[in-house]
Amino acid sequence: MSSWLDYTINGLIVGNVYALVAVGLALIFGVSRLINFAQGSIYLVGAYIGWVAVVQLHTPLPLTIIVVAVAAAIVGLIIERFGLRPLQNSVRIAPLLATIGISFVLDQLVMLTFSPNPRALPSQLPDVRFQVGGGTIGPLDLLIAGVGLTSALLLFVFLRYSKLGWAVRATAQDRDAAMQMGVDVNRVNQAVFGIAAALGGVSGMLVGMYYNQIDTAMSLQATLKGVVAEVVGGAGNVPGAVIGSLLLGLVESYGVAVFGTSYRNLFAFLLLVVVLVLRPNGLFASARQAPPEPLTGTFIAPSRPVRIPRWALLAAAVIFAILPLFPVSFYVLQTLINAWLLGMLALSLTLVAGTIGQVSLGHAALLAIGAYTSALLSLTLNVPVGLAIIGGGLMSAALGTLLISPSFRLRGHYVSIATLAIGEIVSLVILNWESVTRGPIGISGIPPLSLFGTDLISPTSIYWFSLAVMVVLALLQGRLLTSHLGRSFRAIRDDDIAARAYGLSLNRYKSLAFIFGGFAAGVSGGIAAHLYSYINHETFNTQQSILALTVVILGGLGNVVGAMLGAVALVGLPEVFRIAAEYRILIYGIVLLLLVRFRPQGLLGTI
Amino acid sequence: MTASTPEPLLALSEVNTFYGQAQVHFDLSITVARGHIVCLLGGNASGKSTTMKIILGLVKPRSGDVTFDGASLIGLTTPQIVRHGIASVPEARRLFADMSVRENILMGAFVRNDRQAIAQDLDKMLTLFPKLGQRLSQRAGSLSGGEQQMVAMARALMSRPRMIVMDEPTMGLSPLYVDRVLELIRTINQEGVSVFMVEQNASLALEIAHEAYVLQTGKIVLSGSARTLKDDPRIRDAYLGGAEAA
Ligand SMILES: Nc1ncnc2c1ncn2[C@@H]1O[C@H](COP(=O)(O)OP(=O)(O)O)[C@@H](O)[C@H]1O
Ligand SMILES: [Mg+2]
Repeated sequence: MSSWLDYTINGLIVGNVYALVAVGLALIFGVSRLINFAQGSIYLVGAYIGWVAVVQLHTPLPLTIIVVAVAAAIVGLIIERFGLRPLQNSVRIAPLLATIGISFVLDQLVMLTFSPNPRALPSQLPDVRFQVGGGTIGPLDLLIAGVGLTSALLLFVFLRYSKLGWAVRATAQDRDAAMQMGVDVNRVNQAVFGIAAALGGVSGMLVGMYYNQIDTAMSLQATLKGVVAEVVGGAGNVPGAVIGSLLLGLVESYGVAVFGTSYRNLFAFLLLVVVLVLRPNGLFASARQAPPEPLTGTFIAPSRPVRIPRWALLAAAVIFAILPLFPVSFYVLQTLINAWLLGMLALSLTLVAGTIGQVSLGHAALLAIGAYTSALLSLTLNVPVGLAIIGGGLMSAALGTLLISPSFRLRGHYVSIATLAIGEIVSLVILNWESVTRGPIGISGIPPLSLFGTDLISPTSIYWFSLAVMVVLALLQGRLLTSHLGRSFRAIRDDDIAARAYGLSLNRYKSLAFIFGGFAAGVSGGIAAHLYSYINHETFNTQQSILALTVVILGGLGNVVGAMLGAVALVGLPEVFRIAAEYRILIYGIVLLLLVRFRPQGLLGTI
Repeated sequence: MTASTPEPLLALSEVNTFYGQAQVHFDLSITVARGHIVCLLGGNASGKSTTMKIILGLVKPRSGDVTFDGASLIGLTTPQIVRHGIASVPEARRLFADMSVRENILMGAFVRNDRQAIAQDLDKMLTLFPKLGQRLSQRAGSLSGGEQQMVAMARALMSRPRMIVMDEPTMGLSPLYVDRVLELIRTINQEGVSVFMVEQNASLALEIAHEAYVLQTGKIVLSGSARTLKDDPRIRDAYLGGAEAA
């Protein structure tokens, strides 16, 4: 049994590690108002570079730190130069999406190079612990504290006394005014990306040494924790990020002490949501407000949607409907069933993200809610599967809307952070609420799909069922968008202040969008549960949320037909070309990057 | 124009500017003679601030040319334009609110590397703006509007510009500070810095300007020497409050 002092020391050490990530995020947010979702990937890269240095090159510790910092900084500079700088004049959401794409690409490259299996990363430090008061502290703790303090000091000196540091601060406070003083903003961006990457990479290496283990799942966790710490401290506020990180480390450590390890992340995300809702500018926000997101016409790539004649849509529907009558393989049907399920999720997301402008990064949570509800209804209450799925949709609509509603007043990137956090919270609640969800064991033996008492077991019948549900949802959504309601949705997306001035109640319309979108996603999750017969808290994960987002952007934000086309394309094409599973995520990442760069309006155009 | 007009330092010729589909400037042509104060007058949303942004390269015109000292500024980035010798006092001052007054003023010298001369210039600013002396280590955001305007002007001068462009330098200031600012603009100009300023308050601007242009929804509708414009009935009616000003 460890003492409270031990938990405090552990909290501060972990907080130090978070701080190295969060400070980088804060620097980048400061100068470019961008949440860098690739920060965790750089942390991952840092950990693996550290592994190569220590295990293969046998470098001494100080040299290892320098190698990691320099190599990570180079990765950061490359990301800035080739991933983000070309997007300077594009739509506002573009750089955010690009960093998501970059993170997928980097994570997959690391996984393909080093295999997904965890590796040990020895710290080369003697394994002794010193008695301090009622707790103990080891050399690695001291190293982490030392690196944290040294970095903070170097950063302080840089920002306070160097010319480039002044340029960074000036740019963070007023980009245009800084340019008018002759500051080259590209150089400032470069500098902060390099610094952020160096700190993030070293942080990843230290964490690897702390747990003596590294694996590719570290990346997303690090991004999430860094974002939490940064937002808690006030986005763009560098000292705030440090304090936010230490606070987060302590909250987690004490939470673990009281409730157990599986609660660690739950506390982190609850802290984030509480701060976002109560103090969106962070705990230490001065009178200076976080700069407002720009208003009109900057969210969605302007385009004229491709007009598809009605007969062509009808023809496509007929072709897909009669497809199983031809001798197609089981495998093709399976693939298309997955596409229809993803299509429903994409319909939901394209409504929420495209039509009303709330870019959700946690959409898989709606699948999970629908899936668990439907599975439990049918298993424990013997509700017929067809009704249970509808129940899943309703629950997703209600709970999803309820969970997101406190974040309705947030805008832009903050919406994305909130949805990401809520998505994680849903998955963590499922993990920890064992009496209902059966916790980490998951739910098995879910009854198969059935309709009016007939089980749908053949692939053909499942195919028809899911296709029919998707088409019905799409028709409903199409109706919705051409109605008065759809126009109000778009008015809110394009300029919420003006929309409010016209008397539109933002909360009501956002709720309506989430209710409809939540239903579609919940139904998709419900069908999936009965199809898979086994689900757990990881079945519906962030990767699927991002895949759905890629589908939606591929089809054209807000575009109903585009959502379905995008789903078929992203699920189908890798199958057609027989691309191995481990390369798929890489391809999704690259597709996202290319789209953002060259065709932000997607295949069929935004609406 | 009279034969004695010095050669132009800054010239905008037939500039057309758009924000998306909306056209803001229609064949806008303006010249600022070396050593002069030129004022651009116009009502709200007539395109004055956009003119400043065109000069500074913050907004790119769709067609037309901007030349400074004979060389085109089109295609240059804002920092490059600043290095050519154009400094700015932006609309609403736009200080770096969380940096100290000293840091703000020194940011103005960002394009220079001559440390000693920069230190001397800082001292010079404190004689020109004596009030700032006691405020040097204060957060710029904590100053009053008038004091902030002084900082913004000092900051602009620190680059040793050949020309300063100012966007509504008297906006929101108390009458006392308005006079002070106008006086300072004149002083700066007498030391050889050309000034291009945007103003809504025509009577004030015409006090100190050599020439003025009147902009109306993106078109120049009137221009000439300040002296003639002051007596022009159209200006009097539109901007000087008609009979009252007479
Ligand atoms: N960034 C912008 N995007 C779109 N329209 C703009 C932008 N900035 C200014 N405008 C519009 O251009 C017109 C001229 O603006 P501005 O140059 O600021 O006028 P002024 O300074 O004379 O008040 C206004 O109608 C304004 O709404
Ligand atoms: Mg203006």
